[in-house]
Amino acid sequence: MIPWGDDAVVLTALIFVVTYALIATERIDKTIAALLGGTAVVVVGIVDQEEAFGAIDLNVIFLLAGMMTMATILRRTGFFQWLAIRSAKFAGAEPYRLLVVLSVVCALLSAVLDNVTTVVLLAPVTLYLARVLRVSPVPFLISQILASNIGGTATLIGDPPNILIGSAAGLGFLEFLLNMGPIAVAILIVFVISTRFLFGRDMAVHDDVKEAIFELDEREVLTDERLLRISLVVIGATIVGFMVATPLGLEAGTIALLGAAVLLLVSGVEVEPVLREVEWPTLFFFVGLFMLVEAVVHVGIIDALAAALIDLTGGDPTVTTIGLLWLSGIASAIIDNIPYTATMIPVVQQMGASGIPIEPLWWSLALGACLGGNATIVGASANVVVANMAGRSGHPIGFLEFARYGVLVAVVSLLMSSVYLYGRYLL
Amino acid sequence: MTGKFRLARHTTVAACQDLLAIEPLIVHGDDDLLTVMRRAAGHPETRLIGVVDDAGILVGVLPVLRVAESVIGRVVPEALLSDIEDIDDVARFGHAIEARTAGEAMIERAVTSPDATIDQAFRVMHTRHLSGLYIVDADGRPTGYLDLLELAIRYVEVIETDPSRPS
Repeated sequence: MIPWGDDAVVLTALIFVVTYALIATERIDKTIAALLGGTAVVVVGIVDQEEAFGAIDLNVIFLLAGMMTMATILRRTGFFQWLAIRSAKFAGAEPYRLLVVLSVVCALLSAVLDNVTTVVLLAPVTLYLARVLRVSPVPFLISQILASNIGGTATLIGDPPNILIGSAAGLGFLEFLLNMGPIAVAILIVFVISTRFLFGRDMAVHDDVKEAIFELDEREVLTDERLLRISLVVIGATIVGFMVATPLGLEAGTIALLGAAVLLLVSGVEVEPVLREVEWPTLFFFVGLFMLVEAVVHVGIIDALAAALIDLTGGDPTVTTIGLLWLSGIASAIIDNIPYTATMIPVVQQMGASGIPIEPLWWSLALGACLGGNATIVGASANVVVANMAGRSGHPIGFLEFARYGVLVAVVSLLMSSVYLYGRYLL
Repeated sequence: MTGKFRLARHTTVAACQDLLAIEPLIVHGDDDLLTVMRRAAGHPETRLIGVVDDAGILVGVLPVLRVAESVIGRVVPEALLSDIEDIDDVARFGHAIEARTAGEAMIERAVTSPDATIDQAFRVMHTRHLSGLYIVDADGRPTGYLDLLELAIRYVEVIETDPSRPS
């Protein structure tokens, strides 16, 4: 290792800032930026290989890879399209009811599957339904994005920040569900009520156009009913597995990999095409971030940052917890919540070590990182993907148009979270 | 350089156009897709439809599959919905169900000039995943059509009849 001394701090900070700037500005692909940053700190000798590689949280990587594999198989069955058509019929083809039902479905699916898969695969039916009903699909798509990010907040596997936090803090599926679930449900209820005022205008349509929706045959979109049944059973069993993992001394990553392996076995699908569709760039993005953040911890920057934050809040648990929630919410609205969370995890650990109750801090970080992503069109992966897709389908969603709804929903969500954190953990 | 490569790099599009003699299928931007589909059915050898403006300048192209998808999307959307797996599929589906005219369904034009070589034309078709290419004059007006499949068949025939080819 090169004896950098104090210069190591400056060099690490420089590599960190440049990497995060590249990720934020998208000057180069974020996975490349993270890998360059992560390997640079090893090459220049700030951390050695063993330490850098040891910092890669395989539980996170395996949990993501396992869930991605299962989602890839499930989406081949036409399940999402089937569910969307069933939801449309359930809503009686009334546009506003349809918006509410699809949003709730989106939130529920996002709690157990990744948000991007959920919103992308509900989108085509949404586009078609809007076309038939002669209303704009944009309110439906925005509403689904917002609901998806709220739903993802509820569970360990719902959003990548939760996976990172759960693994680092040793918090299991049930603990997430019991602590994040109630507030996520409360926010979803308030959101659903507010959709009447946010999106409910100009949604009246003639009865004759509704007929086309009832004529849709949802069974026609199912490509493989056997595979669908198998997929749902295995995914359901995996979720049960997450619940019992902690008492059994197993990590969530092990359960997800087991679920993926079992599904691949019993479904009989070809392994290679399925694994090719796993989001490898996302997994390598995490690898780079883990290595880079380890260097930032190693040289003492995180200690200094944690000390500065404690100084700022006076070490008061309430101020620190609520402050972290809003800091996380604002930061996640502007930058990718994954690198933000990866950086803040050691900061929270350091704050905990200094005597501030750590459990509220974890929930505060998770709520802020997940819900803050709703504020802007760049705040979360699902937002970016749907905006891109909507634009290519001839229905562009502008930054300001999204922010009009997103900022309001994010602020109300963070206010509700503040009350929840204070009432449940800080009183 | 082998004879096969020389053939592609030295044969011009104009020479091939004379050989293939496939009529371009030209429609206007505001033509209804059902009308376009019926016209396409009458020209089975033309797999890429050219869309022109009022001045007769090529403004876009329309693969036959895309026309069919737009029409099917209106009648039996389930047929297209079942195959959607990723964001590209969704965007394509969204585009298909919105389009009512050739102008709404068309994609960016793909053209070649009579002076270009077959090798260059192949590359454009391969890069754009198109089964044909429009030959345009200096003003951008279509003067001919080059079909990938027909071209490939002729190409293989020429190579097979080449006396210098090892048996």
